Amino acid sequence: MSSDFDTAGSPATETLVVNAKESVRERRAAQIQRVGDHLKREWQLYIMLLPMVVWLIVFLYKPMYGLQIAFKDYSIFKGVANSPWIGFEHFQTLFSNDQFLRAVKNTLIISAYGLLFGFPVPILLALMFNEVLSQKFKKTTQTIVYLPHFISSVIIAGIVITAFSPSAGIVNTILGWFGVDSVYFLTRPEWFRPIFIGTGIWQEAGFQSIVYLAAIAGVSPTLYESAVVDGASRWQMMWKITLPSILPTIIIMLIIRIGNILEVSFEMIILLYQPATYSTADVVNTFIYRQGLQGGQYDFAAAAGLFNAVVAFILVMTANAISKRFSRTSLW
Amino acid sequence: MNLNIRNREETMRILTLPMAMLATTAMTAPVMAQDLPIVDEPLELTVHMHWPRAQGYGPGGDTSVLYPVEEFARERTNIHLIDQTSGRNTKDNNEAMNLLLASGDLPDIVGGNRIKQPVNQYGPEGAFVPLNDLVAEHAPNIQRFWDEHPGLQAAISAYDGNYYYIPYLPDGKYGRAWFVRQDWLDALGLETPNNVDELYNVLVAFRDNDPNGNGQADEVPYFARDWEEVLRLMTLWDARTSGSDTYHDFFITAENTIAHPYAQDAYRNGMANLAKWYAEGLIDAEIFTRGSSSRDYLLGENLGGMTHDWFASTSGYNAALADKVDGFNFIPFLPPESAGGVRMEEHRRIPIKPDGWAITYANENPVETIKYFDYFFSEEGALLANFGVEGKTWNMVDGEPVFTDEVLNSDTAVNSQMYLEGAQIYRGYPQDYRYEWQWTAQAARDGIELYDTQDLLVDQFLGVAFTKDEQEIYDRYWPTIQTYMLERQQAWILGSGDIEQDWSDYIETLNNMGYQKVLEVMNSAYARQYG
Repeated sequence: MSSDFDTAGSPATETLVVNAKESVRERRAAQIQRVGDHLKREWQLYIMLLPMVVWLIVFLYKPMYGLQIAFKDYSIFKGVANSPWIGFEHFQTLFSNDQFLRAVKNTLIISAYGLLFGFPVPILLALMFNEVLSQKFKKTTQTIVYLPHFISSVIIAGIVITAFSPSAGIVNTILGWFGVDSVYFLTRPEWFRPIFIGTGIWQEAGFQSIVYLAAIAGVSPTLYESAVVDGASRWQMMWKITLPSILPTIIIMLIIRIGNILEVSFEMIILLYQPATYSTADVVNTFIYRQGLQGGQYDFAAAAGLFNAVVAFILVMTANAISKRFSRTSLW
Repeated sequence: MNLNIRNREETMRILTLPMAMLATTAMTAPVMAQDLPIVDEPLELTVHMHWPRAQGYGPGGDTSVLYPVEEFARERTNIHLIDQTSGRNTKDNNEAMNLLLASGDLPDIVGGNRIKQPVNQYGPEGAFVPLNDLVAEHAPNIQRFWDEHPGLQAAISAYDGNYYYIPYLPDGKYGRAWFVRQDWLDALGLETPNNVDELYNVLVAFRDNDPNGNGQADEVPYFARDWEEVLRLMTLWDARTSGSDTYHDFFITAENTIAHPYAQDAYRNGMANLAKWYAEGLIDAEIFTRGSSSRDYLLGENLGGMTHDWFASTSGYNAALADKVDGFNFIPFLPPESAGGVRMEEHRRIPIKPDGWAITYANENPVETIKYFDYFFSEEGALLANFGVEGKTWNMVDGEPVFTDEVLNSDTAVNSQMYLEGAQIYRGYPQDYRYEWQWTAQAARDGIELYDTQDLLVDQFLGVAFTKDEQEIYDRYWPTIQTYMLERQQAWILGSGDIEQDWSDYIETLNNMGYQKVLEVMNSAYARQYG
């Protein structure tokens, strides 16, 4: 080893180190000063931020402490901290259960179909609303498609059950005109997913289109004006201006949607399913509801819920990474 | 959905009692005199009282007002109950109980509906006081009730052999009954069906012969509010559908062991016939989705012919629909004789409820508290708990408590009035059937008297208390097995499977899923508790 590099103990180096430390100290003081100034200047903004931060901590971070019960033999009376640890037992029980695996499969299938058929509809609706010229017509149709969103799931389920009733339902009545025998749709496993996904689209598509309408409203009018000057048709403007402009919104919405892929609206499933349709309708959340909460098995339910969250997290990260790579739009 | 709520009811499984002891009918024997007041100086005890009609100890949950019953009880006992109810903003009693336990701040008394499961789970952990010795020493009236109704005390015990709550004990024997449109039978010149074959002919006639006379084949021969009630038809082929008042429950076999009705050979036969009836249109085609309003709709529209439902509420339609449906006469009839020649009514009132009240570890006056609980088992206290304050809502007439005309003729149902008085609420007390009989419709009274002429009721499961290990086995296997059973059941009824072909696979699958292991823990717990 050459002596040129052997300088660690020399006085010169020591001075250098001391100086460096000193400058860090000075810089730190300056930094604190700067932060203080910044706070003094912008305190109103932080006050406004505060409620949201508190909300996040109280409702999302603090409950994470309780997640540990997924690994414990939980007793409400003993409390979270005093219940004994049991490791991965709940997870073993979960994955040795065929019905749980079936529920995971059903969740993924229902979500995938929901995404495939449900995701494009609000975009199409927004594009269509954007092209409507008569304000009166536009407002009327918007109100009609928003309306189902504001009706409670219980009532929606009632409407669906009535509509698909084999004796008096409108669907079977119409099928009857064409000589088709009436079908008891809600007890047929093969019909559950189409009915459930269709109901979801009908209920939410209108309301979800608001986001895209807002994004479309934000597109600069000068783009359209110059396109008109260049002689572009409405079709071309939609493809070349509107869609590319709202693409970031679409992608963000898609990522969020993928993050929620395991969160099938399970209250609707509970209202619509029957043991006869469990084979296609039973999702993770309904499984937890039936199995876990039956006897107050919160630890078991927490394990299933944790599994749900981990899968959702992986899905969001993947979607985000893919989107970042190919479109440079991403959440992070 | 109904199904899920019901099944959640109890993890503590259910256990049986010989028929004779099931008659918890009116406690008429004279009762030991109690030293009243219980304490000389007023003693305040805090109470959690959460049940469907009131979330809090006060009329309709309004804790700023005292129940008239509470006022009276204060005067007599000198014990003042002070409300300290958790979860007053939710109607979900599970949630309220969890909030209470998780808060760690337990009041002196915890009461309400479905407290058996939590009390038996957390009692042995130290949250609640075991009552065996307290009752034996200080509560002569409760003790006398146990002595007169052997088996009930065992039925509420936890796995450690102690019991931790004083239950609400319903009175009266009959729950649901078979109802038929007598005016339809008359219109078609038919007799009341006496056995399963005659019943078949009646239902076919209802389907084909237009008993409602509107020229359309729109009649629904058999319907039910809860789809599970369609299963009761299987009892006509000597199968069982449940051993308790909870659907799909275990039952006691002739050998005094526990088994599940859906794994019996009789079930195979019953289901094959049930599926046949469904396919022939004798059973409401929409039985699984029509829901709880089906009785209103099918009776109101003059479409439904027969059902299996509660005596009192179903009889009420005769008055309610008298103007709307000409000649409407929907009355109870005896269970038809089964293929095996047995008349059996599977459903009956459960003699003991998971509701009532318990003493917590935080209570510094357990002796006074158990004496207070005992007061409501004394003659005076039981009348108070059933009918309200004497002279206000009822009077003693020839030795019988009789509601005032004002109460009986009110637009509000008698039970709803009682709830506001502080009577018939879910404290631990023995219910007195005389309370209900006074405002039961005539058709139901006739029906109950008819049912009383025969020996129709069967042994009932009242629950077993599992040890921790047994509970684990049960929780691990049972929910999955039951789900599978119900899936197959509906498939067979709907005709998307043939039970005769599927049977051996079905039984094999049950065993693979752990059915035998569940039976094992059921039976060991049963033998320990009742052996």
